[in-house]
Amino acid sequence: MEKGRALIRWNVIIVAVVMISFSMHRPAVFGTETQPKKAPEMRADIIQIDSMNVFGKLERPAVAFLHQKHTDALEKKGKDCAACHLSEKDPILDMERMSTMFMRLKNTSKQEVMDIYHDQCIGCHKEIKAAKEPSGPLECGGCHQVKVTVISSWRPIGMDKSLHYRHSKAQDNKCEKCHHEYNESTKKLFYAKGKEGTCRYCHGERTEENRISMRLASHIACIECHRRTIAKNESAGPFNCNGCHAPDEQKLIETVKDVPRMKLNQPDYVFVKTSAANDKESNPSTRMKLVPFNHQAHEKYNDSCRVCHHAALDDCVQCHSLTGSKEGDNVTLQQSMHRLNVNQSCMGCHEAKLNQQTCAGCHTSFEKKRQQGTASCENCHMVPPSRITHEVPPAEQKMMAAEVLEAREAVTVTYDDQDIPETVLIKALTNQYEPVKLPHRKIVNTLFNNIKNNKLANFFHHEKGTICQGCHHNSPAAKKPPNCVSCHGRPFNAEDPFKPGLMAAYHRQCMECHKAMDIKKPVSTNCIACHAKKS
Amino acid sequence: MSISRRKFLGWLGAAGFGTALGNTAHAASNKHFDGYPNSNGVLFDNTRCIGCRKCEEGCNRVNELPEPDRPFSDLSLLDTKRRTTAKSYTIVNRYDEAASGKGPLYRKDQCNHCLEPACASACFVRAFSKTTSGAVIYDASVCVGCRYCMIACPFEIPTYEYDKAFSPRVMKCTMCYPRISKGLLPGCVEACPTEALTFGKREDLLKIGRERIAKFPERYVDHIYGENEMGGTSWLYLSAVPFEDVGMREDLGVTPAPKLTAGALSAVPMVVGLWPVLLTGIYAINQRKGKIERQEKEQAVAAALEKAVSEAETKLSQAMEKAEKEKAAAIETAVSKALEDAAKAAEEEVGDPAAEDADKKSSEEDS
Repeated sequence: MEKGRALIRWNVIIVAVVMISFSMHRPAVFGTETQPKKAPEMRADIIQIDSMNVFGKLERPAVAFLHQKHTDALEKKGKDCAACHLSEKDPILDMERMSTMFMRLKNTSKQEVMDIYHDQCIGCHKEIKAAKEPSGPLECGGCHQVKVTVISSWRPIGMDKSLHYRHSKAQDNKCEKCHHEYNESTKKLFYAKGKEGTCRYCHGERTEENRISMRLASHIACIECHRRTIAKNESAGPFNCNGCHAPDEQKLIETVKDVPRMKLNQPDYVFVKTSAANDKESNPSTRMKLVPFNHQAHEKYNDSCRVCHHAALDDCVQCHSLTGSKEGDNVTLQQSMHRLNVNQSCMGCHEAKLNQQTCAGCHTSFEKKRQQGTASCENCHMVPPSRITHEVPPAEQKMMAAEVLEAREAVTVTYDDQDIPETVLIKALTNQYEPVKLPHRKIVNTLFNNIKNNKLANFFHHEKGTICQGCHHNSPAAKKPPNCVSCHGRPFNAEDPFKPGLMAAYHRQCMECHKAMDIKKPVSTNCIACHAKKS
Repeated sequence: MSISRRKFLGWLGAAGFGTALGNTAHAASNKHFDGYPNSNGVLFDNTRCIGCRKCEEGCNRVNELPEPDRPFSDLSLLDTKRRTTAKSYTIVNRYDEAASGKGPLYRKDQCNHCLEPACASACFVRAFSKTTSGAVIYDASVCVGCRYCMIACPFEIPTYEYDKAFSPRVMKCTMCYPRISKGLLPGCVEACPTEALTFGKREDLLKIGRERIAKFPERYVDHIYGENEMGGTSWLYLSAVPFEDVGMREDLGVTPAPKLTAGALSAVPMVVGLWPVLLTGIYAINQRKGKIERQEKEQAVAAALEKAVSEAETKLSQAMEKAEKEKAAAIETAVSKALEDAAKAAEEEVGDPAAEDADKKSSEEDS
């Protein structure tokens, strides 16, 4: 009897422990619905409904709402956006506009917003279910799921040059259809000619006091216009999620190859300004040499003005002064031009170009830093400041900049073929293999041909020995550079711990370049591809 | 009766509490140890490794290990994840998914030569020792084959010669201790064609590692594995991806293995010294209690038995008496009745013969 009772007691304890651990790891059992195991679907239309966040911590997991799924379903029933979105008169726009929120114009209170979602969503699902059609879930766990069943494939979309051109053409070059400024006193939008800029200059990540977020602005403006245009039976852009944000549908957007230049009084050629227009005091003789800049060409290289003009369509020096200022986030002019790892600086962008296959072979082994030699500075800093004073009128300055750039040597050169050894015999490791026959001239010619049409590369490889330095590094460029073994000898020399030994120097030079240039053969692990077997 | 479990646990707790309250014993290993000065190490850089298995071959050659089943040039072995065995001190594994778009990454696995090795701290015969050269070496002559070292090692490195019936040994990388003592490079380092393995003083290797990360920040994860892991190891690692993605444990922490057990083991003398006394005491008390109880019980039983016997006896004698009386009475009645019957019969025989005839007649009818 006593034994039996103990047995029961232990059973109860074990079952309780199992239940507790089970419920901790699988809360789905208690409340939320379990789904059959399958790979998550990729979708571009997922909206995390976490609007209740503004009222404090969420009680249940946020709902992953599939917007396009709903719009498609509604379309079949002949319903449009108004089925879920209310409209109101916008005092700023002076017109009726649709709220992006679901069935409400503003977030009133927790209970009210929650009721709106629950009543409207479940109500509609019930109606459809009553009509014996496939409908959405009715129970809590159906929408509030912990388990991830969809993964976002959402991609941002931007107004690139081609898209902008197509829009301005469709709108008959009426910039005011989209571009506007905000008048603080009248609290109205107005159009200021010549002051057009990128939307993002004003519309940021989040909605602020007098400006809405970029997300909201684009969804209101773009979708509203597309919708109205389509309602007039004219062709317009997409107004569903996938049309703009699904990777495969983004590819379908028509692109114009040769986009004419945008006209906004920008210069063709210009000296990079080192002082604001009103600054007459700084001493030109203490200045760095001036940089002539081909603005026209750079417009072609980039998708939008915003790549360089990241905050405003002004001169760089307006915010990034020589000594730094609050407007420029204390980034000085020098830093703004030379910073690495950012897109908007000259060197940052040029540096990123080194990752191209044609460049990466040599540049992969170079440390990424500003080259401090004066010679490389003068690739850009070409004109002594004394030549351009305030007295020289701007038009004339621009002409001078153009002249200097035209006159610049910009062609990749190297030694004549007869000066480049055709093959080089590498006699290391001859105790195990035959000497390696390095097709030296072929390598030089390949490297040369790869970059000879690259305008940027041409500016930096105009000395004959430069291209050689991809391999013959750390010694002055010369027709007959020193042998590798002059520097690379025995490995792991404690006196010079950063220099590889000869074997590693050779192998890494070849293999790392091949890898960076994606040269598949010879395979690095296939010794006899380079080292012939000893006969 | 015996003591209850609750009571026993209570005593046990009290004993434990007593030891804990006393001065904390400091084992020698509790002191922070940065490794022997000028000790050696190897830095493995997975951005340089090409997965050629030359290190495995070099290791096999210099350590005179048995010939492998498949040649070292057979790179298809990299398709499966391997671990160190008694016949290979080091192996290379390939991680295809580790770096998206950058091609596969490789990791060489061998003894990490911890600054404070777990294997050595687990070994009760001191078969393992950390030498001043940096190598953790093994002395087969004292090994008893308990294989605690294999369980203790957080990197799962030591292996055992299970196929040897006589004198099997624990096998693991020795950092080529005999070779480095002579000023030669470890076999694997010497064989590496790309210097993915760098041999040198551990301090220098840390400097080299930091320098590489500083020069090519986008190429490396900003961490040198082994600088602090398990209190620091002599084998150090640089990686292009988080170390977890190339099969390395990131959950080991920075505490050397011996330190983890030093606290608990410092209580051993206390347990050995105090617990026998305590437990013997408890046992003696229990014994005494039991003895008294037993005596009392015996007395009680004896008394009860005596009482029962005497009671039974009286009952029996009473019953016997009663039975005898009844018997006598029964005989008396039987005798008197018999006499009466006999007298009656004699009277009837004399007075009524007709009645006898009638009886005869009826008996004839019946038949």
